[in-house]
Amino acid sequence: MTTVDLPMPLLGTDGVPRASQPQNAKEYASGQEVRWCPGCGDYSVLKAVQGVLPELGLRRENIAFISGIGCSSRFPYYLETYGMHSIHGRAPAIATGLAASRPDLSVWVVTGDGDALSIGGNHLIHAMRRNVNLTILLFNNRIYGLTKGQYSPTSEAGKVTKSTPMGSVDQPFNPVSLALGAEATFVARSIDSDRKHLTGVLRAAAAHRGTALLEIFQNCPIFNDDAFAALKDRDQAAETIVPLVHGEPVRFGVDRRLGVLRRADGSVHVAPVGPHNEADVVVHDAHADDPTAAFALSRLTSPGQMVCAPIGVFRQVQRPTYDDQARAQVDVSRDRHGAGDLQDLVDGTDAWTVEPPLTNPTTPAQTVRTEENR
Amino acid sequence: MTYVIAQPCIDVMDRSCVDECPVDCIVEGDRMLVIDPDECVDCGACMPVCPVSAIYGEDELPAEWSSYLELNATQSQR
Repeated sequence: MTTVDLPMPLLGTDGVPRASQPQNAKEYASGQEVRWCPGCGDYSVLKAVQGVLPELGLRRENIAFISGIGCSSRFPYYLETYGMHSIHGRAPAIATGLAASRPDLSVWVVTGDGDALSIGGNHLIHAMRRNVNLTILLFNNRIYGLTKGQYSPTSEAGKVTKSTPMGSVDQPFNPVSLALGAEATFVARSIDSDRKHLTGVLRAAAAHRGTALLEIFQNCPIFNDDAFAALKDRDQAAETIVPLVHGEPVRFGVDRRLGVLRRADGSVHVAPVGPHNEADVVVHDAHADDPTAAFALSRLTSPGQMVCAPIGVFRQVQRPTYDDQARAQVDVSRDRHGAGDLQDLVDGTDAWTVEPPLTNPTTPAQTVRTEENR
Repeated sequence: MTYVIAQPCIDVMDRSCVDECPVDCIVEGDRMLVIDPDECVDCGACMPVCPVSAIYGEDELPAEWSSYLELNATQSQR
């Protein structure tokens, strides 16, 4: 492999042309009628994204939203940017091509728990492993909503749906744990109904150069209502949501009475905090090179009924991106060997033409070397 | 866009919409409930649950109640 030492861009949006005028959220709303069910969490995510995009100050024509299939994947229609409602699960693959070939674009992926983690699981993990410069918004409603309510890869075990009449026997994915295991450089989580938090995390994800995976807990009021009820209920939320802030002790609960403590084996647990154990509360380090601590925090998320979940940025580290490095290699090759010719490459020096038999139909097809045939 | 609560809500304040709103953007104004247009995400969950049909999308607000657009905006900020 050729290693190339070039200064790498630092921000996710570096290299994307800037807008000449300040923008506002209305400019990012397309004229399309928004078609999700009344009360759908997707509306709040759309609103939050429309609020963050003007802050980035990019030219709208240099922003692309790529989606797969599912309710969330209608997202690109409602944004006044370029976009593609693509193939089931393949949004990260299409976005990878776009990000690699067009450094002047800010590329976003919108996907759901079914699209990203079931049929598209393969594409998702490899985009994160490669650290392609993408911002991936994973709407997790723990159900297949578009097809009217079958269990998804994040539905809890025992979940009764149309496709699991006796209860699901599947162990669900924890998308944050999965992303950390797949070497993602930015992993975060937020909640659709918490506009302020969601906006902050969206901002951080857009600024990150590399793959930013943002899981958004999103309520489906029709097919999986109240999947996150314990996290959204005003009275309970203080005791169920664990906010992560880099450099701060992980404390939460009414009067910050609870904290996250590390066990001897490296795992973490929630316990009441007092003067005796205050010093032992885990201090969140999102920039740690080793993802072990972030992974331990991700395991606090209850796998069944959602009764406890950390939100915020679990991990944010700098690593050269796939697209920056690939482009640098192309530049070096161009300097050394010239621009090259694609058709020449396709023809190669060892191509063959298969010709039909000329006279006797029983004679096998003749193969003739292209070189000689020219 | 935002949803707007109009005249039929006055002195009714059933509050079904408050329970339904996923982003808690419906608050009490003077003698009626109002929607904060900056917080409303246009999901429309409130509209069908209103027992007196007081809630309209901004674009469908009847002309005689057009002043309620501004009223919702100002009273929700208090």
